[in-house]
Amino acid sequence: MPNGADTHCPYCALQCGMTLTPAQPQAASPAVEPAVILDVAGRDFPTNRGGLCRKGWTSASLLHHTGRVTEPLLKGSDGVHQPISWDQALQLITAAVKDTQREYGNDAVGVFGGGGLTNEKAYMLGKFARLALRTSRIDYNGRFCMSSAAAAGNRAFGVDRGLPFPVADLDTASVILMLGSNVAETMPPFVQHLQGARDAGGLIVVDPRRSPTAALTSDGGGLHVQPTPGTDLALLLGISHVVVHEGLTDPDFISTRTSGYAAVVRSLATFWPERVQSLTGVPAHLIRDTARLLAQGAKTGGSYILSGRGVEQHVDGTDTATAAINLSLLLGLPGSSRSGYGTLTGQGNGQGGREHGQKADQLPGYRKITDPAARAHVARVWGVDESLIPGPGLPAVELLKSLGQPDGVRCLFVHGANVVVSAPDAHAVTKGLRSLDFLVVCDFFLSETAAEADLVLPVTQWAEEEGTLTNLEGRVIRRRRALMPPPGVRNELWLMAQLAKLLEAPSTFSDDPETVFEELRLASAGGLADYSGIDYAMLDRGEAAYWPYPSGSTGTPRLFGDGFAHADGRAVMVPVTPSKRVRSFADGSLALATGRLLEHYQSGAQTRRVDELLAAQPQARLLIHPGTAASRDISDGDYVTVTNERGEVLCRAELSTTVRPDTVFLPFHFPGQESANRLTEAVTDPISGMPEFKTSRAWVRKASVIKEAVLAVTGLPLHAKEAS
Amino acid sequence: MSERIVVVGFGPVAARLVDDLLPAVRTGLVRLLVVGQETEAAYNRVMVAELGVGRTTADALAMAEVSALESDGVDVRLGVAVKRIDRARQHVVLADGTSEHYDRLVFATGSRPVVPNLTGLNPDPTGPVLPVGVTALRDLRDAEVLRSAVAAGQRVVVLGGGVLGLETALAAAEEGAQATVVHNGPFPLGRSIDRGSGSVLTASLRAGGVRVAGNARSTGVETAGPGGSFSALLLDDGSAIDGDLLVLSCGVRPRMELAEGCGLPVGTGILVDHHLRTYHEPHMFAIGDCAEVRCQDASCVECRTANGPSGLVGPGWRQAEWLAEYLVVLARDGQSAADALEALPKEKPGVVMLKARGIDLAVTGDNLADPWDEELLEAGAASGRPRRQVSQWADPEHGRYVKMTTRGGVLEGFVAVGMPRTAAELVLLFERSSELPADRSLLLRLDGPDQLDAGATSKDPQRTVCRCAGVSAAGIEDSVLEGCSSVAEVSKATRAGTGCGSCHDDIKGFIEKHFQATAAH
Repeated sequence: MPNGADTHCPYCALQCGMTLTPAQPQAASPAVEPAVILDVAGRDFPTNRGGLCRKGWTSASLLHHTGRVTEPLLKGSDGVHQPISWDQALQLITAAVKDTQREYGNDAVGVFGGGGLTNEKAYMLGKFARLALRTSRIDYNGRFCMSSAAAAGNRAFGVDRGLPFPVADLDTASVILMLGSNVAETMPPFVQHLQGARDAGGLIVVDPRRSPTAALTSDGGGLHVQPTPGTDLALLLGISHVVVHEGLTDPDFISTRTSGYAAVVRSLATFWPERVQSLTGVPAHLIRDTARLLAQGAKTGGSYILSGRGVEQHVDGTDTATAAINLSLLLGLPGSSRSGYGTLTGQGNGQGGREHGQKADQLPGYRKITDPAARAHVARVWGVDESLIPGPGLPAVELLKSLGQPDGVRCLFVHGANVVVSAPDAHAVTKGLRSLDFLVVCDFFLSETAAEADLVLPVTQWAEEEGTLTNLEGRVIRRRRALMPPPGVRNELWLMAQLAKLLEAPSTFSDDPETVFEELRLASAGGLADYSGIDYAMLDRGEAAYWPYPSGSTGTPRLFGDGFAHADGRAVMVPVTPSKRVRSFADGSLALATGRLLEHYQSGAQTRRVDELLAAQPQARLLIHPGTAASRDISDGDYVTVTNERGEVLCRAELSTTVRPDTVFLPFHFPGQESANRLTEAVTDPISGMPEFKTSRAWVRKASVIKEAVLAVTGLPLHAKEAS
Repeated sequence: MSERIVVVGFGPVAARLVDDLLPAVRTGLVRLLVVGQETEAAYNRVMVAELGVGRTTADALAMAEVSALESDGVDVRLGVAVKRIDRARQHVVLADGTSEHYDRLVFATGSRPVVPNLTGLNPDPTGPVLPVGVTALRDLRDAEVLRSAVAAGQRVVVLGGGVLGLETALAAAEEGAQATVVHNGPFPLGRSIDRGSGSVLTASLRAGGVRVAGNARSTGVETAGPGGSFSALLLDDGSAIDGDLLVLSCGVRPRMELAEGCGLPVGTGILVDHHLRTYHEPHMFAIGDCAEVRCQDASCVECRTANGPSGLVGPGWRQAEWLAEYLVVLARDGQSAADALEALPKEKPGVVMLKARGIDLAVTGDNLADPWDEELLEAGAASGRPRRQVSQWADPEHGRYVKMTTRGGVLEGFVAVGMPRTAAELVLLFERSSELPADRSLLLRLDGPDQLDAGATSKDPQRTVCRCAGVSAAGIEDSVLEGCSSVAEVSKATRAGTGCGSCHDDIKGFIEKHFQATAAH
């Protein structure tokens, strides 16, 4: 029986080091059941240096939460979930898969994975889909997260590792440009690494909202640049324009380490600062100041450009990330020992989760599923004929759109995702799920998506399992078991192993994480994300293992020192221009941006069940500028409706000058009537498949008196009411 | 055989058209010939003044590269003019004597500077030969002339108080030249701004080191400099403004002789319909400075109120983008498919922003009405259409001025001087036709110092000090009262400071305050 553990936080990609210790049994408590209660403490680790945020501190309270699912639940014809045995559950799934595939073909079964799964689970899920379910239809929620940055990174550098340097490198930088990233709320301990730049007056935050991160630029800490939503690409072109025209580039770097410079310079000629001001609302002098600060930093203490979902979660997200990369290349930042470009990965295993085969177009080791050599290698490791590995499937939004459609998916497995809350155009997604013949959801709670499932399977939480994750800097770390899961709860590796047997899958499916990792090592060997030199023993000794880590090497804390991962070793600059799609906000509509709160994580399926966090942020609040509110007769705390052609949200308004007058901000952690994704559009980036989360058009009105009266009587948060 | 498109002119607008046609050229759907009179491929002419004062390089202005275009299959002829167009044979005849067939022809001939009627200047509008030391600042060679004058710290006289003239004078002054702007109205920028903003602008120009000579009517140039070069601008009151270089900035005129010469109807520019087609010749088009969109439908309200070419590059680029799509659809799917495309949307009045480091100015639309100008405000207010409203802010001492003219809360015009954030917001609100906040002063406050650190110094005990752990000021004070005397102890007791650590100084402050207070007792 494990007795506490040194592990990492269950939530974001900073993967703060934490120690879980069994608490002293409380003397006064009646001995109903001697459950092990865990104390959480921050642990010294380079990413968090002992710090934790509220989410981390309170994470252990979910282990014994009363709402935990501890038995497989089958939805009856009355719509109510009833417990069944694991044997029954496995038989039902096997039958559903076989029936569906007999009638509609193999691709009628699909898998939707998550960026919170361990490397072992993510790897095994890809293998399970292709060999046991024999389907190409697998993708995951990381498509909503890192896909644009990944596509841009691959295009420019030939490889996609979120931060190609250890996060502590940032400590000595004199300038850091944060593009659409609100780390002060999404990964608070990260803010420590911005202190050096703040002290030097060089923290530049680009965000339409004066987010807590943007507020770090006050008192001489740096600049807050506040473009109107959806115009980040033009802003970046404007900054690059100034760099080129004022002679702030690094000509040696450009000539020896990049290609495509001339075409990029031509594409920048028309983005002079005053023109960019008219597109973005950012004053021309701020555009110039930003360019000059970055250039000055590059020549002195070091300059970093970090991008986040704010600039990436758009239909032009890949091009926007590319514009950021081009700027960094013009300044000669990537591959330098004290400067760089990176993207801040969001989900706990958002990095590892995008490397080992959960993506529709990918095989382990960040290999392309269409590459014959990659297919041959993986087929060899799996011991199967290459023809058994299906081709590329559909990216997440397309996969979800295909649910229940002719030639679409009719039987779906969901692992570590809550698409009813987190996917764009949530109404349409819910409708798709309801049109399925069979929906299996693995979760620890009856999340909004699990509530839709025919079959809910209870799985282990982070403190109950072993495995590895890869954090935002590409470092592979160990997750360790601190206590045994409740009886009836199973690990997904066990589930896949059982089903593989019942579905007579070829190859092997181990339920032991270390055995799976050993196989992952072989499968990743020679790929871009090569883990072949890493094993559990060295991770347990505390060694810092950054991929690529080929067998016999010592890993790669910093990429690009000697060259980029293209054949000629050069980084590729690709000219990009803003889309011609013009958005009109003429008829009283506002730009709706969605985002996060410090207290909640992703769809809130976990954090909304933590009393302390729910008490702090019990419901969604729409941030609206007082001037914008005044003309709509909206006061602080009023209920408002936010509507567009896709749906309606009903929530309270919070008046704040931190948002632009033309923009409202709604957190996306809440379900039901407060679900921000009822309003987002399922249009996607043509390269990455990333949906447009950050800029929707919406109309905000004060809610009618009747609705308010009903709410006042119950006095409950809306989503709590819906659940009851 | 695929269609051959000939583009006459290779300026910034033609460059955008060529860029957008490239995919169709690569696939062989169309063939493309571009004829440019200058020896350089397209460059961003809008920034010629910046080049002239040494703030950028010619390389950085380039918008096209001949070798890249040629490798994509584009035929590019530079340094050669089109002499005439033979519509019957569908030929363009070049100055080198060759002639080329076209299936579609696009005029992108742009405009040329207006050379004012002054004694000492050649009045021929199509081929002026200017004396040494006089330039119209239109192309790279003109920029070179200005460059030498600025580098030598010479006296630069700018004739004309338009945007380009002001930009040139300001930049030249900032880079070390002695600059004078000569204009003939009470204030620069003429009719596009009102008296208040004009006065603030003039003061700002002077503060920026530019001499401003208003209400000045020039009559001639004196060429008594070395080698017969420019030495002074002569005014009608008998005075003279001495200088080493005269920059003519008196506006531009569309270049339309080629179109006229082959019998196409012209007005202020080459007349085209909403599909940018010339009258009677639907396979000939015009875009950019040389084009005047005015259709032949007498009932078209849009065209009845149109003002001819704007002289701004933005509308030209939108025309180029639109036309590229039209031409591709035409070549691929035929005439009826192309005609089914939505016509080019109506242009809003352009927003003019001064490209200057020392002065922030943005202006658009009609700004003549004052807040109490009943006649002007009521104009156009009929059948339910609301009257105009004007809000105004003037702070000449600090170089700030804003006027917003709205109808139904939506901007019809505005001018903003010395208020960059306000100006930036107003531009967006205007471009998007969004309703202004009812409290207009909100927009003014965007440039106030109170915007930056709102709430940071609140004394509310319930305010959050540690955001990461969600600990209030009261919570920390309580822990100090209960005996915590270091940040580490407070962190242990309350979790405050256990996340990002940026509140450690605040926590120290609480501890120090407490112990100072205790020590004082």
